Amino acid sequence: MKFNILRSSRRGQSGHYETYEVPTGPGMTVLDALFKIQETHDGSLAFRYSCRGAVCGSCAMTINREPRLACRTQVEGLTRMKPMGLSLFKGLEKAVDWDWANEILIEPLPNLPVTKDLVVDQTKFFEAYRKIKPWFEPNESETAFSKVMPDQAERIDRYLNCILCAACFGACPVCDKDPDYLGPAALAVSERFLADVRIPDKEKRLELVADKEAAPACEFIYNCVKVCPKGVAPALAIRSIRDSLETARH
Amino acid sequence: MYEFDVVVVGGGLAGLRAALEAQKTTEVALISKVHPIRSHSGAAQGGINAAISSTDSWEAHAFDTVKGCDYLADQDAVEILCKEAPDRILEMDRFGVMFSRTPEGGIAQRPFGGAGYPRTCYAADKTGHNLLHGLYQQAVKTGLRIFEEWLVLRLVVGSRKAIGLIAYHIPTGEIVPFRAESIVIATGGYGRIYSKSTNALINTGDGAAMALQAGAPLMDMEFVQFHPTTLMGTNILISEAARGEGGFLHNRKGERFMAKYAKDAMELAPRDIVARATQTEIDEGRGFEGGYVELALSHLGAERIRSRLPGIRDISIDFAGIDPIDASIPVQPGQHYSMGGIAVDIACRTGVWGLLSAGESACVSVHGANRLGGNSLLETLVFGKIAGKTASEMKLQRGQEDQPLTAAMKEEQRRIESIMGGKDPSSVPSVRTQLKELMTRSFGIFRESQTMKLGLERLRKLSALYKGISVSDTEKDFNQAVVRYNELGNMLVVAHAVAIGALAREESRGSHFRTDFPKRDDSRFLRHSVTSMVDGELNLSYAPVRLGRFPVKERVY
Repeated sequence: MKFNILRSSRRGQSGHYETYEVPTGPGMTVLDALFKIQETHDGSLAFRYSCRGAVCGSCAMTINREPRLACRTQVEGLTRMKPMGLSLFKGLEKAVDWDWANEILIEPLPNLPVTKDLVVDQTKFFEAYRKIKPWFEPNESETAFSKVMPDQAERIDRYLNCILCAACFGACPVCDKDPDYLGPAALAVSERFLADVRIPDKEKRLELVADKEAAPACEFIYNCVKVCPKGVAPALAIRSIRDSLETARH
Repeated sequence: MYEFDVVVVGGGLAGLRAALEAQKTTEVALISKVHPIRSHSGAAQGGINAAISSTDSWEAHAFDTVKGCDYLADQDAVEILCKEAPDRILEMDRFGVMFSRTPEGGIAQRPFGGAGYPRTCYAADKTGHNLLHGLYQQAVKTGLRIFEEWLVLRLVVGSRKAIGLIAYHIPTGEIVPFRAESIVIATGGYGRIYSKSTNALINTGDGAAMALQAGAPLMDMEFVQFHPTTLMGTNILISEAARGEGGFLHNRKGERFMAKYAKDAMELAPRDIVARATQTEIDEGRGFEGGYVELALSHLGAERIRSRLPGIRDISIDFAGIDPIDASIPVQPGQHYSMGGIAVDIACRTGVWGLLSAGESACVSVHGANRLGGNSLLETLVFGKIAGKTASEMKLQRGQEDQPLTAAMKEEQRRIESIMGGKDPSSVPSVRTQLKELMTRSFGIFRESQTMKLGLERLRKLSALYKGISVSDTEKDFNQAVVRYNELGNMLVVAHAVAIGALAREESRGSHFRTDFPKRDDSRFLRHSVTSMVDGELNLSYAPVRLGRFPVKERVY
């Protein structure tokens, strides 16, 4: 199988595509293929990795024009895979000849500056995360375990699964056109706190996601839902935040 | 040069917890070769043990732990582990971690291997992920100074004391000294020295190797945990929780083979026993073609699988194309955990003043010859906190010794320059692959003198080979070849310590099983092995085990 990879050096300058031929077999993932390329073709190919089991969120990249985790993407399955049906924007439709039947196209995530090759600078992504103040204020004097009914816990289950891989951030057309937008992941994490019954006063927390760069900026395009490798569905979180904002206004 | 009171190396649970503690009174930096939430702690699935029920007790937890460890754990350390456990769970609850709940709204607990009581708290089968994010959020809240994507190249010891370290900034290739009054090593395990391992690709034993080279001895390195159920092929972990929730292991004949090996505990016997049983079934031809057995979950029903084991289900579907609701999961044993590590006392101090360690990189020792499931997450939080506290109290005079740090920096710069510019990108991966295969073959689940001797000889050759290899990438930015070259150097050092420990221990205890010495031998080996480095050579000695309230007995399940 051929892998057509967008290579960039020196902080994202001088991008060009390079093709590598890698023998593939059953069970081989895109991450495996990238290691193969690094080990046999070009030791300078850069990409992030850690767990190789779809839990750490390191290896999100654009594979065949769709943001995915490289470790969770089987090479042999790719040609048979149904397209996600993403709404396109310039980050996902770069002009390059791509023979999709015989080639796998690998590019860095859109909407974040490239550090080198498939490595993007996630500073902006984590800034958005910090803006929603993603933490509990621990009450040191509390000596009893919290009481949370299973159905209450279940309400935030989906959002707890976020691994901060930034696939949704890269897939979001609003992140593309509005550089100040917090993006889907930060808002999903925000809803994880807003819907947690252990946090009594939600008003201040809701204010953090009320301005025009936060929840109101979402256009419900649902690319985030389609690309999320953990089923987080950030758009649902944003819908819920928007409802809370609406309620708070009345 | 950066200057801090405390530098923590490693951004997983132990490192974060240590940093949060030390930060209360001192200036702290946390250095990690990956962003903290990419750490391997996040992959922990099944849960965290704590006697929080009124019908359970810390003593019962301690007994299960000591017995599970095949009596090699230090009982004073185990006592701390088990006594502190409920407080650490309470703390994580306060930090917002959403543990799975009982119908009444309390914290639910599930049965786990080797435990006489269901005392494993959990967040579905994503406990590590939830704990890691909860702790990282506190780090963000408190503004912890994090140096992410910095690889520590070496520790620097001045006149009898750790004075700092030299780190490599992966995105730019810059090499910078950090001066510190104390250093906490929390770099996790070294599973990647084996070809079949559940560990993240980043678990290369960096901290243990560097500590050893800096003069801090390692302990019990021959005790390597093999997990019985890793996914066939990729060896991604299939949590013990799957058996805790009622999963069965079957061989090719459809037999629940654990009945032959541990008739009472069955699938919930400790990991060393289930791993050996599984490997025996495979070796004796009762496994499936390709070398695996099956883990059956479908009888638990779709609802229970979806709610209690959603991560396992995702992994099975994503990586094996199998939905455990309908079909059994192909599993085989694989390396999982490093019981051994940097020898520390119960305050987490190593043999070098100012150098500490906690979590999987350390050996305190609470896991002895075999760790019980649910005790490693616990160890990271209990001893991470203790390490942070001790480190913050180790303030001497601010180090005046700049010279050894600058000298070490220059040496490291020269060393890194000298390895770049090779022709062949495959030289590092080739040595790495040979190392992994040799460790699996010679120092795996079943060990025997002759194969170990050959393995050790081969290991020496690989170490010699390593000295002559180089990396082909000459770029400064994000040069992962340099990172992997360094990791390989660390892996070779650690592998060596495992090998000499395993060869010298002529008995079978916990995870260390010798086919030529199948019995436990308390008279000779109820002792910790201690590996130190003298003039570049490894030296093995033994230290007494600190026994306590639980007398040494035969271990039956």
